[in-house]
Amino acid sequence: MWNFIFRSVAQRLILLVIVSFMAHSFIHLAPGEPSEVDPMNPRMKPEDIAKIRAAFHLDDPLHVQYAYWIRDLASGELKSFKDSQPVLPKIWDRFLNSLPLFILATILVWTLAFPTGIYGAVHRGGLYDRSTVFFSYALISIPSFFLSYLVILGVVEWLGVPVISLKTFGMDQADPAYKIMDRVWHLVIPSVMSALAGIAVLSRYVRSQMLEVLSQDYVRTARAKGLEEDTVVYRHALGNALLPFVTMFGFLIPGLIGASVIFEQIFAWPGLGRLGYEAILARDFPVTMTLIFFTAVLTLLGTFISDVLYAVVDPRIRLE
Amino acid sequence: MLVKRLLLFIPLVLVLLLLQSYFWVPTYENQAAGNPNRLLTYIEGSSGDAKILNPILNADSSSSNIVAHVFEGLLDLDENLELRGRLATDWNISERAYLLVNPHHRFPDGTEVTGSTLLHRIKKAWLTGRDEGLKNYVQSMELLPSTQREETISLLLPNAQGKPQLKDVQVTVNVPARVAFALSQVDQDLFDRLKPILGKKYFEHFPFDELIRFPKELGKETEAALRVKFPEILPIGEHNPTIVFHLRKGVNFQDGHEFDARDVKFTYEAIMNPKNLSPRTPDFEPIKTVDILDPYTVKIIYKRLYSPAINAWTMGILPEHLLNDAAMTREKQDRGLSDEAQKSFGMRDSQFNRHPIGSGRFQFVEWQGDEFIHLQRFDEYWEGPAQYQDYFMRIIPDLLTQEIEFQAGAVDFYGAQPHQVDRYKSDPTYQWFSSLGFAYSYIGYNIRKPMFAESEIRKALGMAIDVEEIIQYLMYGEGERITGPYPKNTEWYDPSLPSLPYDPNGALKIFADMGWVLNEEGWLEKDGSIFEFNLITNNGNPIRKNILTIAQNAWKKIGVKCNTQVFEWAVFLSDFVNTGDFDAVVLGWSMGIDPDLYQIWHSSQAGPQQLNFVGYKSLRADELIVRIRQEYNRDRQRQLTHELHRLIYEDQPYTFLYAPLSTRVLDKKIVLVQKDANGKEDYQKIYPIKSGDHTFHFHKWRKLEFTPEF
Repeated sequence: MWNFIFRSVAQRLILLVIVSFMAHSFIHLAPGEPSEVDPMNPRMKPEDIAKIRAAFHLDDPLHVQYAYWIRDLASGELKSFKDSQPVLPKIWDRFLNSLPLFILATILVWTLAFPTGIYGAVHRGGLYDRSTVFFSYALISIPSFFLSYLVILGVVEWLGVPVISLKTFGMDQADPAYKIMDRVWHLVIPSVMSALAGIAVLSRYVRSQMLEVLSQDYVRTARAKGLEEDTVVYRHALGNALLPFVTMFGFLIPGLIGASVIFEQIFAWPGLGRLGYEAILARDFPVTMTLIFFTAVLTLLGTFISDVLYAVVDPRIRLE
Repeated sequence: MLVKRLLLFIPLVLVLLLLQSYFWVPTYENQAAGNPNRLLTYIEGSSGDAKILNPILNADSSSSNIVAHVFEGLLDLDENLELRGRLATDWNISERAYLLVNPHHRFPDGTEVTGSTLLHRIKKAWLTGRDEGLKNYVQSMELLPSTQREETISLLLPNAQGKPQLKDVQVTVNVPARVAFALSQVDQDLFDRLKPILGKKYFEHFPFDELIRFPKELGKETEAALRVKFPEILPIGEHNPTIVFHLRKGVNFQDGHEFDARDVKFTYEAIMNPKNLSPRTPDFEPIKTVDILDPYTVKIIYKRLYSPAINAWTMGILPEHLLNDAAMTREKQDRGLSDEAQKSFGMRDSQFNRHPIGSGRFQFVEWQGDEFIHLQRFDEYWEGPAQYQDYFMRIIPDLLTQEIEFQAGAVDFYGAQPHQVDRYKSDPTYQWFSSLGFAYSYIGYNIRKPMFAESEIRKALGMAIDVEEIIQYLMYGEGERITGPYPKNTEWYDPSLPSLPYDPNGALKIFADMGWVLNEEGWLEKDGSIFEFNLITNNGNPIRKNILTIAQNAWKKIGVKCNTQVFEWAVFLSDFVNTGDFDAVVLGWSMGIDPDLYQIWHSSQAGPQQLNFVGYKSLRADELIVRIRQEYNRDRQRQLTHELHRLIYEDQPYTFLYAPLSTRVLDKKIVLVQKDANGKEDYQKIYPIKSGDHTFHFHKWRKLEFTPEF
């Protein structure tokens, strides 16, 4: 076990270096310049542009630029091109904004998908099952941004309350209880919207997984023993059906950065996805690179956790 | 079964818990009704967050918007786009000029040129008053002895990888004796007036090599690049326009510190400090020195004639006491940066840019990144406080969400899209503005290509396109036709020129005159090849993309074969525009307020990476462009710009399409509050000024509880 962990961490570290170097090259090979180097500004002279390029190390060879980036990232003094603010605190602030959205959406997906899927599997072919199949495919097919617009329009039109951003604008003087609940409300719609597709997909998985397990011999045996149907389904079948989902947990983690770009854009949510999106548009290389780096770290961490969890929950698997 | 119950119970509780939060949130109606301060608060929606709140560093529109409220310049532009004093009460422009003694030259009568003979002869001509200009403008003249100075010259040279890089070279300049002139106003023709005395070739064959000394081991390329700069390092005839600003007394920054001449000088130095990488350097580079004459008088001396330079002083002035070396050192130490970071620490890194202090009408309160920026009125503003108490810029990236917030009343202003014009114009709750800005759209032809070399052909291509149709169907009527390179709402634009008629038959006739005939397939053909080219534009601009199609179709009707392609912006610039490797482009310019068109139209600017990418070359235009940027008299400048406008109009290097109108909506309850001498309030409808800016009187705006009738 320890041997596996050690080897796997070492491999991932090497992979991380390769990934970050490749990402660095891709970013710099893509056409376009940081918006500070503005060749379409009629007033900018070649001398001025050369000065800015030199300050950002843009004329150095790629591997030297990479070394600068690593050095600054390690010392915590990496600065954004855009506003010269340190990158790490900037990412941390946005991370704190994105986190509740991510957590709530994840909880919604996992708590709602299971009952929906299990019920569908148990009552296979019934009206409920068929209508959840229909709605699942509908939710998977309709673009989520389009649905979000409809929901925002509906809520503002019929309920008359604000939905976008972190909180209602101008609530600074309100009671703390109201402030907290206001924040919760502003979380609800974006997280529901970003959870919808997840619920649809995951409940499909749960359903098919349950169906597979329910047709196994040991389930038949359990029923033959005369056990209650609920005991059969929830004790004998569910436990085994859950196994593959444990590994999915690990893959969720990188979604923290990338998954929410569209929702953060529509709901004016100052999170990580928007930070990354805007950094890419402005060719803000330090911010883009650091975010890609963290995404890679989270992905590798996620797969690692999956591997370990799998061994922990499934006694048949031994990690060597 | 516990698991079953949990599986049902947990989601149910969670959903209920979340949904109940709805009852705690104030509705839009309550927000306005229960909050009298809302009437004194202005909320603006912006799709992008500000980057850096410092007038010498910002380059994006959101930052400029905030900076314009917090900081104030020496000057600004008034309703008629003329300069008006703000932190400066008044200013006057004069000139110092210098003429070097050219020892290798002889006067027309054969006498040698020496300092005393030069001064004597010029003085004689001045005193006799034969030349009107000399007599009227020159106030005094004297002879200055020769001097020596050391100077560092920055040269732009390709490095090993062929990328341009800056290199500093130390030179010693032996300045020969020279005649110094004091002029009451700037006269770009001063040295031309002296030519009858000096001889026509006085300004040629100047012995730079004897006077400028540089290190021997420079290398061929560096030396060549340096030689090109000799006339700039030691100009034979030098104009030094001079502006003296008288500053307003008793003006305070928002932290209570008094504004004075040191702040002006400091702001200039901060811009020129290479560490700060200010995007404003090109505007201030023409300045030679900034001298403080007394705490309320500053004298700015310029290196050369460049009349738009004064406009740069509309930029906000920084508080010296918060950003000088002492303050920066303190900040560096407080933040505990590494040595490496301390060395490169410049104004760009300062926390001041996140919490600015200026002398403008509003002071900074709070900035929540990608959420909002909050400003509050500055009660001690020298012209009196603004009507609004609070100003918010909310960052709402998505246009549709922005509109929803606007309609719900949580944002006061919405920059509507042309297709939404009708919806808002007819709605009685809103007031509507649609006005000309400084931008225009065009089709530019690569004149280097033989097919576009003739202005007649370019004219014919323009005549084939129905621009009215573009304005009507693409812009929903929110555009105006234009005929030339200046913004239509400035005096530089010549309104008397008629726009190119839509006349496909006329266009065909021009083509026929040039020898192009329609072949069997319906294309124009000459010497065995058809008239075919590529028209390209950048991705992400649906209007330009549609213009592509309309032009393609219009040209097809007269037998011109046009292929269209759309490229991502960065590729579009790097592979086509910057290299000059294109046939024709659909693009737009956003112009400044000054009449200087050097970068876009001067023939020297037609190289790779330069902005005259269509390759327009005209001797007369070059001459006019240079005269315009050197002319300090507005009337004469206007005559010259009208001539340049006509010249470019006749050459048709672009097919000038239209100037878009910017379309904006405001709540109708927001009005202009005018106070008379007794303090009685009178309400007026908000109107855009000549520049198209409707926020010019923002400090007098307020929201009323009722909708006024005008």
